Amino acid sequence: MSSAAPARRRAYFLDREDWLGRVMIAPAVIYIAALIGMPFFLALFYSFSNITVGTEELHFVGLKNFRAILDTPGFQVALKNSFIFTFVSQAIVLILAKILALSLVRDFRGKWVVRLLIILPWVAPISLGAIGWLWMLDSIYSIVNWGLRAVGIFGPSTWPIWLGLPKLAMASVIAVHVWRLLPLATIILLAGLTSIPRDIQEAAAADGARFWRQLFEITIPMVLPIMGVAVLFGIVFTFTDMIVIFVLTRGGPFDSTHVLASLAFFTGIEGGDLAEGAAIALFLFPLLVAVAFLMLRLARRSEVT
Amino acid sequence: MEESTKRHLSRRDFMKVAGAGAAAATLGPAIIVPGRATAQQKTLRILQWNHFVPGYDKWFNETYVKEWGQKNNTNVIVDNIGIAGLNARAAAEVRAQQGHDLFLFLWPPPVHEDQVIDHREIYEEVERKHGKAIPLAIKSTYNPKTKKYYGFSDSYVPDPINYRKDLWDAVGVKPDSWEDIRVGGAKIKKQFDNPVGIGLASEIDTNMAMRSLMYSWGSSEQDENGKPILGSKQTVEAVKFVKALYQETMTPEVFSWDASSNNRFMLAGKGSLALNAISVTRTGENEKIPVTDNIWLAKAAAGPVRRIGLEHVMDVYCIWKFAKNIEGAKKFLVDYVDNFKKGFLASEYYNFPCFTSTVPDLKQLLANDPKAKPSDKYKVLEDVESWATNVGYPGYANAAIDEVFSTWIVSTMFAKAAQGIMSPEDAVAEASKQVERIFQKWSERGKL
Repeated sequence: MSSAAPARRRAYFLDREDWLGRVMIAPAVIYIAALIGMPFFLALFYSFSNITVGTEELHFVGLKNFRAILDTPGFQVALKNSFIFTFVSQAIVLILAKILALSLVRDFRGKWVVRLLIILPWVAPISLGAIGWLWMLDSIYSIVNWGLRAVGIFGPSTWPIWLGLPKLAMASVIAVHVWRLLPLATIILLAGLTSIPRDIQEAAAADGARFWRQLFEITIPMVLPIMGVAVLFGIVFTFTDMIVIFVLTRGGPFDSTHVLASLAFFTGIEGGDLAEGAAIALFLFPLLVAVAFLMLRLARRSEVT
Repeated sequence: MEESTKRHLSRRDFMKVAGAGAAAATLGPAIIVPGRATAQQKTLRILQWNHFVPGYDKWFNETYVKEWGQKNNTNVIVDNIGIAGLNARAAAEVRAQQGHDLFLFLWPPPVHEDQVIDHREIYEEVERKHGKAIPLAIKSTYNPKTKKYYGFSDSYVPDPINYRKDLWDAVGVKPDSWEDIRVGGAKIKKQFDNPVGIGLASEIDTNMAMRSLMYSWGSSEQDENGKPILGSKQTVEAVKFVKALYQETMTPEVFSWDASSNNRFMLAGKGSLALNAISVTRTGENEKIPVTDNIWLAKAAAGPVRRIGLEHVMDVYCIWKFAKNIEGAKKFLVDYVDNFKKGFLASEYYNFPCFTSTVPDLKQLLANDPKAKPSDKYKVLEDVESWATNVGYPGYANAAIDEVFSTWIVSTMFAKAAQGIMSPEDAVAEASKQVERIFQKWSERGKL
C-alpha cells in the first residue's frame, strides 16, 4: 500500500505531458539563459556605455559606439569579410560534404576507417588543429609548399607566403575552416541520405533514371530539409567563429582578414574598449537571426512539399 | 529527555547556537592557539609569460620563488601563459575581480589603472635601497595626469639589430643606420637571396620595430605632453622609407610575422637582419645551431633625426586592487629587485635591470660571455639605456597609447603603404584619424 502511492504519483507526473515537457526542456532553457542570454544582454548593455576592460564604472552614451565603429575602415572590411568567409566556406563545405556523403553511403571495405578519419577534424580541438595549420603554412617551413614543390606542382622559384598576402591569407583561412566544418556537414547529410527509402531509388532506377537524374530529382529534394540544417549550423558557426583567424592571421595582413568576431575581440579585449567591442559583436545578432529565420523557413517549406 | 530538548529549542535559540558554532569554527584556531594564526602559511599567486629563455622560468619557478616562499612562509604559485594570451587573461581577471596577486605584463598596461593599486610605495622602497629607476621604467608605469604608478617595472629587454655578419661584410656595409640597412639589405638580397626580416604584421615585434623607426625619423604618436601628432610630415617620410625598405630588401613573409618569426628567420639561416632581443643568439648558442656564430648584434639604427630604439619587452608587474595578498606581492617585488642579478643571469642577459645598481658588473659580464662567439658579442648592449626608449615616446605610456599599441594601428599603417594598398599619405591620414579618436575618447574618460 505504502510503496504503491509513490509509484502512482510518479506515473501521474510521467503521464502529465505538460509538466514532463517543461521539466525535460528546463536544462536547455537554463543553459541558453545562462550561457547565451546573459552574455547577450550584457553585451547589449555594454554597447550603449563607455565601459573599458579596466573600469567598473560606466555611463550611458547612446549610439556613440555604433556611430564610431561604422566610421572605421577596419569595421567595413571585417563586415565584408564576414560574408565572404561565411558564404564561400559554406558553399565549399556543402559541395564537398555532398560528395563525401554520397561516397560514404555506399558499402566498401574499410568504410569505418574512412568515416573515422573524416570525423577527426571535428572532434579534435580547433585551436590545436589551427596551430597545426599555422605551422604547415609557415613562411619558412611550410610543408604544403615543400610537398607541392616535391611533386612538381610548384617550380623552384615558387614559394607562396600563404598568410602574408591578403587573398592568399583569406583563402587559407577559408580552407582551414572548410577542413574543420566538413565532417559535421558530411555526417548530417549522411544521416539524410540513409533515411531515403531504398525502394524510391530502386523504382527510379527501374524506370531508367541515371545517377544525375536521381541526384537532382530524388536525392537532393529529399535531403533538402536536412541540408538546410547543415547550412544553418555552418553559417552560425562560421559567422561567430574567430579561432581560425585568431590563430592563423590575427586579422592580418594589415587587417585584411578580420571578421566581425575577431575585430570585436581585438577591439574589446586586446584594445581595452569593451563598449566598442560589444557594439561590433552585436552587429552579428540581426544577421544571425535573419539567417536562422530564412533557413528554418526553407527547411520547413521543403518538408511540406 | 531528548524529546523535551527538541520541543524547547526555539528558532531564536537555534540561531544563537548556530551563530556561536560558526564563530567558534572561524575564530577558534586563533583564540585557542594565538601563535597559529600568524604562523599560518599565506599564498601568493603570480602570472607571467612563458619566457623566451626557458632557463629563466626554470630558475624563477623552481628555485627563486621556492626559496622566497620558505623565507616568507608563503606558498607561491606561478602560472605561465603565452604572450598572446596576456591581455585576454587580464581582462578576465578584472571582470571576475579575482585571479593572481601579481600580474606581469610585457608592455605598459595603463588601461587597467583603476584596477591596480598605486605602486609608488614599492618604487620608494626599492629606490631607497638601489637608487633611482631608469626613466624608461617610470615612463612605462606612471600616469602624470592622475599621479599614479599603475605598475612596477623591474626590468626591460633590449631590442638590438641582429644581423648576419658574414653577409653584411660580403657587401661591405655595416648596418649602422636605417639607410645602411636599406642599401646593404638590397645588395644582400640580390647577391645571396637572404632578405631583411622586419615584421609588418599585427604582432608585438612589428609594433616595436616600426616605432623605433618612427622615433628615429622624428615622428611619434604623441608629443611629450600627450597630444596626438601621428599625422605629421615626418611620419609620412618614415612610411615612405619603410615602403622602399620592404620593396628593396624584404619578401611578403613579413606580413605574416609573429612573435617568434624573427628567431626562426635568423636561425634558419634565411634572414640577413632582424630587430629582436637576444633570444635569437641565445637559442642558437644553447641549441648549437651553426649559423649562430655569424649572427652579431648592433645598436638601434640611426635615422635622419636620432639613433633610438624601443625596448623589446617592458616587464611591468601589476598588483590588482582585488588581490588577496597585496602586502605579500609588494614584498615579493622589493625582494625580487634585491635579488635581480640572479634573474639577470638566469635570463642569460635577456632581462635588463631598471635599477642599474642591482647588476654593478653588467658591463664586465657583457664583455666576456662564456657562451658567445666572440665572447664580447653582447658588449654592444652596455649602453642600451642611452638608446632604448618607451612606448609612447617622447611622452608617457598612457591608456590611448596602450589602445593604439594593442590594436596594431601603427603596424597596419606601415603595412598598407608597404604593400601598396594605400599611398603613404593616405595610410598616415587614416591611422592618424583613428589615433586622434582614441586619444579623444581616453581624454573624455579623464585618463589623459
